[in-house]
Amino acid sequence: MATIVLDGVVKAYGKNPVVRGLSLEVHEGELLSLLGPSGCGKTTTLRMLAGLEHPDQGTIDIGGTRVAGPGVRVPPERRGLGMVFQSYAVWPNRSVEANVAYPLALRRLARSEISERVRTALRWVRLEAFAERMPHELSGGQLQRVALARALVSNPRVLLLDEPLSNLDAALREELRAELAALRERLGTTLVFVTHDQAEALALSDRIAVMNGGVLEQVDAPERLYHAPASAFVARFVGGANVLPGVVRDGVFHCAQSEATFALPNEVARSEGPATLVLRPEDLELGTEGTPLPLAARLFLGNSVEYRFAVGTSLLRVVAPPMEGVRTGQVLRIRARRARVFAAP
Amino acid sequence: MIRDGAWGARFGLSAWLVPVLFFGVGPLGVLWVRGLEFLVTRSDTAWSGEWGALSNTIVISTGASLLALGLGAPLALLLFRTDLPFRRVFGVLFTLPSAIPAFIWGMGWLSLASPRAGYLNRLWGTGPFDIYGVGGIAFVEGLSGLPFVLLAGAAALRRIDPALEEAARVCGASPFRALTTATLPLMLPSVLSGAVMVFLLTASSFGVPYLLGVSASPPTRVLTTRIYELVLMGGAEGLPRAMALATLLLGLTPIALGVMRWLGRGGRVRLGAGKGLSPRPMALGKARGPWVIAVSLVCAACIVLPLGALVLTSLQRSFGAPLSWESLTFTRWGSVLGSERARGALANSVVLATGAGVLVCGFGLSAAMLRRSSRGMVEALSVGPFSVPGTVLALALLVAFSRDWRFIAFERIAWVLALAHTPWLLLIAYAVKYLALGERNSSEGLAQLDLSLVEAARLSGAGPLRAFRDAALPVLRPALISAFVLAFLTCASEMTMSVLLVPAGSQVLGTLLFELQSYDDPAAAAVLACALVVLVLVGRGVLALGPRSSVEG
Ligand SMILES: Nc1ncnc2c1ncn2[C@@H]1O[C@H](COP(=O)(O)OP(=O)(O)OP(=O)(O)O)[C@@H](O)[C@H]1O
Ligand SMILES: [Mg+2]
Repeated sequence: MATIVLDGVVKAYGKNPVVRGLSLEVHEGELLSLLGPSGCGKTTTLRMLAGLEHPDQGTIDIGGTRVAGPGVRVPPERRGLGMVFQSYAVWPNRSVEANVAYPLALRRLARSEISERVRTALRWVRLEAFAERMPHELSGGQLQRVALARALVSNPRVLLLDEPLSNLDAALREELRAELAALRERLGTTLVFVTHDQAEALALSDRIAVMNGGVLEQVDAPERLYHAPASAFVARFVGGANVLPGVVRDGVFHCAQSEATFALPNEVARSEGPATLVLRPEDLELGTEGTPLPLAARLFLGNSVEYRFAVGTSLLRVVAPPMEGVRTGQVLRIRARRARVFAAP
Repeated sequence: MIRDGAWGARFGLSAWLVPVLFFGVGPLGVLWVRGLEFLVTRSDTAWSGEWGALSNTIVISTGASLLALGLGAPLALLLFRTDLPFRRVFGVLFTLPSAIPAFIWGMGWLSLASPRAGYLNRLWGTGPFDIYGVGGIAFVEGLSGLPFVLLAGAAALRRIDPALEEAARVCGASPFRALTTATLPLMLPSVLSGAVMVFLLTASSFGVPYLLGVSASPPTRVLTTRIYELVLMGGAEGLPRAMALATLLLGLTPIALGVMRWLGRGGRVRLGAGKGLSPRPMALGKARGPWVIAVSLVCAACIVLPLGALVLTSLQRSFGAPLSWESLTFTRWGSVLGSERARGALANSVVLATGAGVLVCGFGLSAAMLRRSSRGMVEALSVGPFSVPGTVLALALLVAFSRDWRFIAFERIAWVLALAHTPWLLLIAYAVKYLALGERNSSEGLAQLDLSLVEAARLSGAGPLRAFRDAALPVLRPALISAFVLAFLTCASEMTMSVLLVPAGSQVLGTLLFELQSYDDPAAAAVLACALVVLVLVGRGVLALGPRSSVEG
């Protein structure tokens, strides 16, 4: 129901810049994930959207209305948002029911309607049976779901979620993801979803915005982000790719401080000189061809095995089907089916 | 240390318990029994004329705690939740009221607002203020109890996740609504508990009600001042009635502690679950200016004004003279502080306060170390006496160790340790009352001590004592130093117990101040009070600049 536009947003705490010139558009009814390492400014960005922090520079518009900018500062209670806090922020002196009913009570709805909607919201998060409980009688994951229900109950036009599923088990997480998707279908809510779990972001989002050190690295649909990362950082953070420094000479990548070389496939741009090689673990092949390296370690992953090698000072991970009779120390040959080269930073 | 064997622990426990029971719990028990006995057997005479004192005590204490609550809770929010400018400075200034003895604040307010001679009344001309009586006592006590509410509120706010309030904002609540629905209910038990503490301290207070009540016309009597008068009256009539009243006053203590405990049970509730809890001051925005002016005014009225009045009084050539620059002089400072009496009192106080400080640290540290092996008993015994009114404790010691009233433990064994009217009894009283300072600080220190440090020293070949000295003491030293300084400062200016226990013919600073103010020369008293304020400020300053902050009992 609402488009969010951030334009050149800058935020510093004291002298310490946290968000450095962020421009981003979240489309109406879209689920956009903010993905990035701890401390990169995700929560800060979300807090600026909510109106809990004011950007030092830049503007924020929600649904075509300017909510933050020079001389404009709409307080959080008049932005009509829902938010799940990273620390849950469930009021410990109110029961589960009272927590969830709060946003509705502020809107002066009729008793019967409030209790009806609270019940629905609690059903979404599978907490119908816990309505009477006090927060200190709940587990961490249950608290998180109370926070989620409270954010959902007023059907806000924009929902801000700060790692809302981080404390839940895999099955419950799956269920709630489905609930969120259904909710979005039904109400057309715009969702901004903060996470540092890349699998969650890939599975859930329409688009993903990857942040690093207060700037956007890339904003794209999950498939494009995965298959066409715009930087070595994105490739490493989203696909868990190997990132190796070195030089390109005659179509071959020579790794720094190591004998290892990788023949580059034709489609990869062949700018000669210092560069960074990005290899996904599942794009590497163990066999009779390629550069020989001694196996350093082997990790059983279930349906596949991760083989680890040392290349200079970096670690090279290869994910391949299990092989019989391979021992650590044994020299294996590695070939890259697909690779990506970025200019050295 | 405690692990060195059950026998060692048991021996240590007994070595600690015997003196504490003998000098602390025993006398109080005797007082309690005697007082009850008198109340029951002579209920007709015990009560005649004392109901007024009881009701005054309750009215004054209630008023004082309400004032401290009404002022302290909003101040706590402003100083510890918002981005009020100078909030650190205000934080320090607003803890002064409990650091400086209440009697001195009373003196300050007396020079400001005594009906005829008070500066404020002279300034206004019509004399609108009267600090005497129930209202005045409650006002002064409430202000001097302010820090208890303020610090309790601050401690609560530190545990409350600011996101709770932000969540309310996002849900659509106005800033004020968010405060009253999210933060206030969580902080309320703590500040109420602080207010109950103020109630207890006011009910136990002696100096201010004496200053502003007994010499008023008509006099306002409370339990403590009434007990004092009855003890002075002495004899077969006075002492038993004093004990009866003391029993009554002592009865308030467990009630107040019970209420505080009940209020504190909410503290166990998790106030912020999950991660990302970080203190974020709330922006006051445009209201910063008005708020900082308001807080400054309150600070000036409650702290700067009475202290200033005291200084002014101390600098006047003669008490009550018209105010002008020419009439200000330092000559009185020299003559008062240099007098034979003042020097004698100072020497006595320094010796006693040093002795008490050493005892407090020694017994406090032992208590903290024995705490774990004794299931709360040691802690209760060392913290308990702090909440027993000083008047009651002094009377108990006086009775138990005087020649006429024997400390009878068993039917036939009577200790006639005639300590009454010797300086020893003062020393014991100080040490027992302020043991809590030593125990609290040592426990804090011990909590920071990694026991493996001591164990490592033992493994390197040090004996238990050597290991304690080399590995544990350096970690505990800051805690012990602050316990010592706090105990020293408190004892050096102690008045309530001192006026009852000081040997005839000699004086300590507290009794000298009391006598000068009440009988001889209020201007000289002002000089002495200023000197005491300087002493307290210097001591606290040293502590504040030290390596770690201290815990107050
Ligand atoms: N109130 C504050 N004062 C000063 N620095 C802050 C404040 N809040 C956050 N920061 C800093 O800003 C940076 C970004 O913080 P932010 O909470 O936005 O990170 P995040 O991306 O949400 O991290 P995480 O995934 O760990 O939650 C961090 O380096 C943090 O230390
Ligand atoms: Mg965060």
